[in-house]
Amino acid sequence: MKKSIINYLAAVAGILLAGSGLFLLKFILEPQGIMRALPYLCIGLGCGIFGHGMGNIISEKVMKKHPDQQKQIEIEKNDERNIAVANRAKARAYDIMLFVFGALMLAFAVMGVDTAAVLLLVFAYLFVVGCYIYCHVKYNKEM
Amino acid sequence: MKNRLEEIRKRHDIRQEDLAAALEVSRQTIGSLENGRYNPSIILAFKIARYFGMSIEEIFTYEEENL
Repeated sequence: MKKSIINYLAAVAGILLAGSGLFLLKFILEPQGIMRALPYLCIGLGCGIFGHGMGNIISEKVMKKHPDQQKQIEIEKNDERNIAVANRAKARAYDIMLFVFGALMLAFAVMGVDTAAVLLLVFAYLFVVGCYIYCHVKYNKEM
Repeated sequence: MKNRLEEIRKRHDIRQEDLAAALEVSRQTIGSLENGRYNPSIILAFKIARYFGMSIEEIFTYEEENL
């Protein structure tokens, strides 16, 4: 029940956000600074939130009519092999991502791209590695 | 790790789908277990053993590769 209320709220909030984005786009003449990007950001976020909320509402309604299918979906979601497969795929993708990010940083540095962009990429890379180390230590203590 | 799941399941005349539903796992998991492509968690191994009224060792056998 609580979950469906959140979905309805998300759908309404999405419409409001997208609507306000459209309003800003239509009625603000000669926007300056952040106001140039804000309407598009509002529309994008609004549509995303609305789609997410509405999708959940529809799937919830459909699932109520077919409890057997809901049970099967629940089983597929919690199936230990499916979880193991997903985790293994994520781990492999993470390994690949580190190489790709590393190569991209090197390429950006060699190409002489703006220092701010290279530094942002480096910090993003280090943040991801930091998350890995944090989770590693945390799970090491837990298990 | 080897197992006799397929043999035991057939002896009990149970379909993969029914066993999967009883154990609350996907049918693919049962198929992968029977083919030896996937080793179950200890919890699932206990569930399987309990379902057939057997011990884990009667269903799953571990053989070291270098022996």
